[in-house]
Order: sequence, then structure tokens, then C-alpha cells
Amino acid sequence: MVTLTIDDKQVTASKNATIYEAAKAAGIQIPVICHDKKLNPFGGCRMCLVEVEQMKGRQIPACTTPVTEGMIVRTTTDEIIKARKMVLELLLLKHPIDCPVCDAAGDCDLQNLTYEYKVNTNRFQDEKFNWKIDYENPLIERDMNRCVHCGKCARICDEIVSYGAYSFINRGINAKIGTEYDGPLNCEFCGSCVSVCPVGALVSRPFKFKARWWAMNKVKTVCGYCGTGCQLTLGVKDSKVLTTIYDENQGFHNGQLCTRGRWGYQFINSDKRITTPLVKKNGSLQPATWEEALNVVSAKLKEAKSTPDSLAALVSPRLTNEELLLTRKLFKDLLGCDNVDHSAGYAHTALTSGAKESLGYPASPSVVADVQKSDLLLVINADLYQTHPVLGFEINLAVKRQGSAIQIVSDKKGKLSKLPEAKTSIYKPGAELLVINAIAKVILDENLLDSSAQSTGGFSAWQKGLESLSVDQAADQCGIAADEIKAIARNYAKAEKALILLPTGMGYPGHGKELAQAVINLALLTGKVGKEGSGVLILGEKNNSQGAADLSIHPTSGGKSALDIIAGCVSGSIKTLYVAGENPVVSYPNRKLVETALEKVEFLVVQDLFLTPTAAMADVVLPACSFAEKDGTFTSALGAVQRVNRAINPVGESRSDFRILNDLYNAVSGQPAFTDVKAAFQELSGTVAGYAGLSYDTLGDEGSVRPVSGTATFVPVAAAAPATESGKLALVTGSALNHSGTLSVYGEGPMLVCPEAYVELNREDAKSLSISDGDQVAIKSSTGELRLKAKVGSRLPKGVVFAPYHFADASINTVTAGSAVTFVTIGK
Amino acid sequence: MIMPLINGLKITLKHMFMKPVTLQYPTERPNVAPNFRGLHALKVAHNNAKCVACYLCPTVCPAKCITVQAGEDENHDKYAAVYEIDMLRCIFCGYCVEACPVDALKMTQTFELANYKREDFIFTKQALLEKK
Ligand code: SF4
Ligand code: SF4
Ligand code: SF4
Ligand code: SF4
Ligand code: SF4
Ligand code: FES
Repeated sequence: MVTLTIDDKQVTASKNATIYEAAKAAGIQIPVICHDKKLNPFGGCRMCLVEVEQMKGRQIPACTTPVTEGMIVRTTTDEIIKARKMVLELLLLKHPIDCPVCDAAGDCDLQNLTYEYKVNTNRFQDEKFNWKIDYENPLIERDMNRCVHCGKCARICDEIVSYGAYSFINRGINAKIGTEYDGPLNCEFCGSCVSVCPVGALVSRPFKFKARWWAMNKVKTVCGYCGTGCQLTLGVKDSKVLTTIYDENQGFHNGQLCTRGRWGYQFINSDKRITTPLVKKNGSLQPATWEEALNVVSAKLKEAKSTPDSLAALVSPRLTNEELLLTRKLFKDLLGCDNVDHSAGYAHTALTSGAKESLGYPASPSVVADVQKSDLLLVINADLYQTHPVLGFEINLAVKRQGSAIQIVSDKKGKLSKLPEAKTSIYKPGAELLVINAIAKVILDENLLDSSAQSTGGFSAWQKGLESLSVDQAADQCGIAADEIKAIARNYAKAEKALILLPTGMGYPGHGKELAQAVINLALLTGKVGKEGSGVLILGEKNNSQGAADLSIHPTSGGKSALDIIAGCVSGSIKTLYVAGENPVVSYPNRKLVETALEKVEFLVVQDLFLTPTAAMADVVLPACSFAEKDGTFTSALGAVQRVNRAINPVGESRSDFRILNDLYNAVSGQPAFTDVKAAFQELSGTVAGYAGLSYDTLGDEGSVRPVSGTATFVPVAAAAPATESGKLALVTGSALNHSGTLSVYGEGPMLVCPEAYVELNREDAKSLSISDGDQVAIKSSTGELRLKAKVGSRLPKGVVFAPYHFADASINTVTAGSAVTFVTIGK
Repeated sequence: MIMPLINGLKITLKHMFMKPVTLQYPTERPNVAPNFRGLHALKVAHNNAKCVACYLCPTVCPAKCITVQAGEDENHDKYAAVYEIDMLRCIFCGYCVEACPVDALKMTQTFELANYKREDFIFTKQALLEKK
């Protein structure tokens, strides 16, 4: 700690702090333009000049100068104010004064400082810039005439996003922020640069001219897409969500979002929302009143009460914890039906069976703070960047700023493979389990295990299970050289702090119970569970996947899992199916089978925002609300329980899932399950492990990480050699960066960048099949056939093709049936 | 008793033959001062409304009677796709004119704003465009 004096005030600060940081902590605001707390110090704009007595009163930038003991700093002398005024005059010399038409007005650092420092004349004169404005990319309008050269966009894109789309080009007065060959921007469109731009040089195109900053209500809530659980501020006007707003003080991610969180909000006020209940009459869905629709549904539910086995529910993990609790109460407790599941039944098993059996709780032992404290990050599948992009930013920071090593084992390369000194080992599709077991075997063979391992339950049985595994043979089968596997094992075992990251999701059928248990075994073996900067992060796919796991929204006493429910519909044993927010037709394995099931089931209720292909088959469709229209909580994959706040009125006649389910509960039992959301949370905190002690009112804006506890044991997992079929390509599915589940396809932003389904191939394969980028190709498996657009690149190894699963029009589940790898032939 | 009545009548009779002091509206028209704050007009330059839809006038308007909705034209520039003033709520304070950063708005000498239907008091952009 260092003690110094700032404006006659005694201040203590850490010795690594800058004058700016020390002043800020003491409540003294120094104006900045080029400084951002997330970025490395830059010192480019000179707005933050202060005087330090020991430096003979010289003016120095506060944002780059570290504090020293006894320093005497003045932040607002006449001289300093004069200097700051000059900085502003010089910036305004070239800056077009087009505040009336600039969307940044009201939230512009230059405007605010000009006002604060009363700069209303300019001693200097020059022509304005006349750069061509980039209107060509779909999401970000780049007007370099307004740029103040703070460099924040280039720095955030490089330091945190690790994309590197921008750099300064030209010299002197002609310097500007340029893109590759100064062409239109073509990047991953995370929008971080727009967020940090202090002026209106970078603005959102979808939001362009939609509203002024000061006219919007800013509502804090949580992103409704993936499990990362980023906090988010919605810009609301006239009960419409117009944009997302950057708030650098939100969440572990300091307000940064990924491309879908930033630009994917348009589904909320989409014209395609269903606005009234629909009831099937004479073979087609007709608008109906809520009373009519609920009467039909509740009559069916009451009827099913006597034969609960003929009833089933598929519930989306996008619902709030309170709604999930209500689902459980309605179906399991009241109707006595255990056929309740989500995420196709397999996408949650990593948590609900894997972690549950191995650790004693269905969650990850680690939290987000561990990422940046780790010495080695072991990422299973490079697609982690696609499934949980903002966690990807944390990984970027860990590697680039904290110097963590990163080892990726994956079936394809990815963006994380490009990090400095990142090592990527590519296995054959479907071999992940074998690779992890082989790594564990090396650790056993070389006696690198931690002393705590042998005393952990199940060790000897597990060790026995691995005895017959030969690392050389496994290496042969999985496609990673034995030496490489050994090196990974040694590095992992020897790393003081090592964290394994395992993404899960509907696109990754191989990332289930066994894989989770294999990685937990590995972490237990090396004593990495329960240590800071170490452990395992098993990442649920959707915004509340972790909540659904915590609340056991899956069969718990012998009921049918999702895939069995589908089979039950086909065989006729399930007669009534209630689908809340799930879209099995597009996202569950084997589209044909799911369609047959939904056709056969006697009564199908779908509760959704949109008339999805699933809803289109329903007997009753109930219009539900989006996350922006309701209150409640989500639990992130990183364990944070966070408040979702209602920002707008329900669209049309839609109702929150909470209200719908509560009304049905009332209709069946004669009284509602809860008086309100808060009461539901109260019950939750009393009944769900880890939620005790949380209160709805005190969660606040930050949320709270709920604790986990349990007893860890080794669980034997056998790994088979990956299947191969000669002459065929191995198809793996997964997520695309711009999309999450089947919801983001209703958002304009994601669709501007990634509008349609595609299949990605390696260059060599494409060449031998004479397919070029953009061709329509036929892809055929034993399950079905589909035509998709080809995308040719170098991310995939030879013989492997990849397709994302989000798109209803050409959904990849037409050819896949739930196995980790599908063998296909591709032709024109 | 009768005298006050006669005196009163005298004054009345005298005034019958004097020049009237009131304005004989509508046959006579008032002389409206140039800085009178009557009906608004959107100024026109190069055949287009000068308004750039900056939303400052709706922001400043104390009666909250101005509705602006910006649009993007073919040159990617901002213009007022909707510009409406609800004259029933306007208090003719003139703040909107003062707030306008591009001098796109003025208040005219038009004061005859009576009408039959409420809807007719909502002046659209077309109705507000300055007549030359
Ligand atoms: S949107 Fe994201 S990736 Fe694209 S330039 Fe901006 S910061 Fe970089
Ligand atoms: S575009 Fe914005 S963020 Fe980038 S240098 Fe210019 S002013 Fe700074
Ligand atoms: S990483 Fe996930 S939670 Fe965060 S903004 Fe993106 S989609 Fe939303
Ligand atoms: S004159 Fe005053 S009340 Fe009328 S529109 Fe203008 S600002 Fe509003
Ligand atoms: S203040 Fe002037 S430019 Fe702005 S919206 Fe009103 S009339 Fe248009
Ligand atoms: S904020 Fe310190 S130099 Fe820009």
C-alpha cells in the first residue's frame, strides 16, 4: 500500500494502482477519454492530465502514471483546466459537430466533456475529415470522421476479444482506425468496440436512429441466451426493447457481451410473436381466448391425473427457476407424472448424472473467477468459444494477460487455438472419452497422481477399470500421438492450478454423463478439485440449464426421459404431451421420428413465443413471454443466481410461463401454487440445495454465486474406440457463434450475419468432392437426407464435417439421430 | 329615480355614434406581431424539411405534445419520418423553437386553430411544412 495526497486528501492505494485509479477510489473524478478499466493503460488522449508536485508541477497523464509514496497530486488547477480545454479544442477541430444526428449524443464522452469544460469557441481552424463511412457491414456503422483516436476499439478487439479487426493506419493528421486493407468490417461482431467507443464513430446499425439515449429506460437483467449468464441492460422505450446498453460495471465480464447477447434482442418485439392463444379447430389452429384455451388444457390435465403415465412434459431450460419449480409442482407433485425432461434428455446428463454421481451435486465445482487464476486451462472441444463466447473472453484474458497455458483437445480447431502458444490436439470425432481416459492412464502409469487421490472413494475400482487401457493403442484409435497424450498428461498433472472446461449442449451428444465423469476423475486424480484456480467447469448450454439441473427437471423416480417420451408418443403410451419452450422438431435427434411422435400423440400443448415447427403441430398453442417481459431468476453455468427483471409489458396477449402454469395449477387443484414469483423463490430457497440463505430481494443487481457441497468419488467410465465407416465423412454437430438454441433465429442481428444452415468442410475434402464455398450440397446418412450450403475452410480436419443445429428450415436433425458422430456422404 | 337611468342611456347613445374600440373579427383582421407564437411551421430548404429529427424539441417540450420518429433516407441520413404536434396540448411556449439546433422550426402568426374534431388538432409533418 502507498499513501499519497490527491487534492489535499490523504489517499491510500495499492502500489500497482495508477493515479487515476487511486483518485477514483477516493471519489475524485479525473476526466478520461482513452482509458478503460478493462484495457491496458494507453495514455493517448491527454485528457487526464494532473500535476504532481514532486515532478516540479509538470503535467502528467493520471491514467498511466503509477502512484508512489508521498506523491502530492493536484487534479484541477487553472493550468490543468487550460490544458484539458486545449485537448478538447484540438479534438473538436476535426470532429464534425453532428450531435443532432449522432446516436451517441447524450452518452458521448466528448460531448459531455465539452459541456463540462465549456468549450464553446475554438482557437484553431482546419477542414473536417472526409473519410468514407462503412455502411457495408450489417451491424456496425463506422464513421471515422467522428473518431477521436482513443484506440479503445482496436485495443479491446485485440486484448479481450482477441480478434484483431482494427489497427491504426496512416500517419500524423491522416491517422485513422483501419480494418484489413481498409475494407468493410468483417469480424465476429461481438460489438465490444461499439460499447467502448467514447463517441459516435462506431454505432449499432440495427438501432440506428431508433431512439435517443436519454429517452430510453435502462433495465438491468440477464441475457436470455447461453449459460454464461452475462448481465445485460436493455434500452426500452414505449414498452419495446430497442437495444442493449453497455454498462461497464455489470457482471464479471464488465458489461461485455457476445454477438448474440449484444445484437440478438430483436426476437423480443418480433412481428412473428404469437399474440393470442391458438386452438386447433377443424384441423387448423384458430385464435382463441385464454379462457377457452386454458379450459381445454386443464380438462386434459385433469383427465390425465388418473393415468399420469400417459402424460409427459418437455420444458425448456430457458424458463426461470420459479417457472421450473412450478412445472415440477404441477407435473410431478400435483399430477403425479415423472415424465418430465428437457434438452433432449442427453444435453443435461453431464451435470444431472455425471457431476451428480461423481461430486454429489449436479453442478461444477469451480466458478468463473478460477479461469483467470489458473496456470493451465484444459479445454475439451474448441467449440467452447461458440457455446459460451464471453467465457471465451475470460480465457483470452487468462492466456494473454495472466500467462496461463492453454491446451485444447478437440475434434476441430477453433478460435481458441489461435491464442499465443495455445496447443491444440485433434482427436477423431467421438474419441473424447478415450482421450481423457488415456490422459488419466498416463498419470497413473507415471505415478503423477496427487496424494489425495487414493483416499478418495471409488479409486481402486476406477483404477482397475483403466488397467487394460493401453495408451499406445488409445493413441492409435483416437488420432492423437501417444507422446502428445503423455505431454498433456504431464503438463496437466504438474500444473499447480489447472482447470478443465467442458461445454455441453444439444449439439454435443458426446458431451454427456461419461465425459463429465471422465474429466472429474482426471481432476480428482490430480487433486485439482476444490482448489482456487483449479477444478472443472461443466457448462450448461442455455441461460438456465444450470437452474434446471439444480431443480432436477428430469425424471427422478423412474419416469421417462425426453427421448423415451418421444418414443412413448410414437408407441402410443404417451397420450398428452405438454411442451413449454422446447422445440423438439428442430433440436431433438431425428426430426422424422419427432414429427411422427407429435403427429401420433393424442393431445399436444405447446407454450412458446413463436409458432415454431413444434408449435405448428400442436392442438393448443399458448403464447408465452420472453425474458424481457418477466421477473424471476436464472442460474448461470458458473453458479450465479441472478435476477431477471421485467422491462416491457407482455407482447400482445402473451402471458409469462409462470402465470400460465400457475393458472393451470389453479384449474386442476382449485388453488394457485404460489401467490407470486417471490413466493416461488422463497420455496426454492427452502428446498433446493445451495439456494438456502438466498433471498429474492437481496439478490440485487449483482446476483449471488450459490455454494455447492458433496462428496467426490471416482466413477469408472469405459471408453470404446471411436466408430469409423470407410468412405464416409464423420459429421459432428454443434453451435454457431451467432446463435443459441433455436431462439436466436428470430433475432434480426444474428440472422444478418449467419442467416442459414450450412455444412462446414475441410478444403481437401471439398476439393476431392469438387465442392466450392457456397455450393448447395446433398448430405445423406442412414437417417435421412438434406441439402445445405457448403462452407469451406481449414478449421476441420480431413474427413470431418460440421453443421450447426439451430435452423428450422434445414435442420441437421434430419440426418442425425443422437449419436455423437453421424457418418454421411456428401455430393452435389 | 329616473335620472340615473337617463344618464346611463345617454352614454349608450353617445357610444352608438362613436368609432367602435373592439376589432370587428372576422370581417376585420388583427395586426399580429411578428414575434407572435402561433401555429408551428417546419422550415424548408432545398425542397426538404430542415428538421434532422434530433428529438430535442420533444425532449424540451413541457406539454409533451411533439412526436418525432426518425428515419434513415437513401443517403443514410437522418430525417423525420414522423413529425406531429398535438395542438390541443401545446401551450405555445416556444421552447421547441429555441431548442432546435438546426433552426428547422418556427412559430407563425397563424392563430385560427379551431376545429371540429380532436384528430384535426394533431398537425402532421405535411400540415406543418412551411408554405412558401
Ligand atoms: S465487433 Fe468485436 S470482433 Fe468486431 S471489430 Fe468490434 S470488437 Fe472486434
Ligand atoms: S472508433 Fe471510437 S473507439 Fe475507435 S479509436 Fe475512434 S473514437 Fe476510439
Ligand atoms: S455469452 Fe451467452 S450469456 Fe453472454 S452475452 Fe453471449 S449469449 Fe448472452
Ligand atoms: S410551443 Fe412549447 S408546448 Fe408547444 S410544442 Fe413547442 S415546446 Fe411544446
Ligand atoms: S429540434 Fe429541430 S431538428 Fe430537432 S427534431 Fe425538433 S425540429 Fe427537428
Ligand atoms: S485518459 Fe489518460 S491519456 Fe487518455
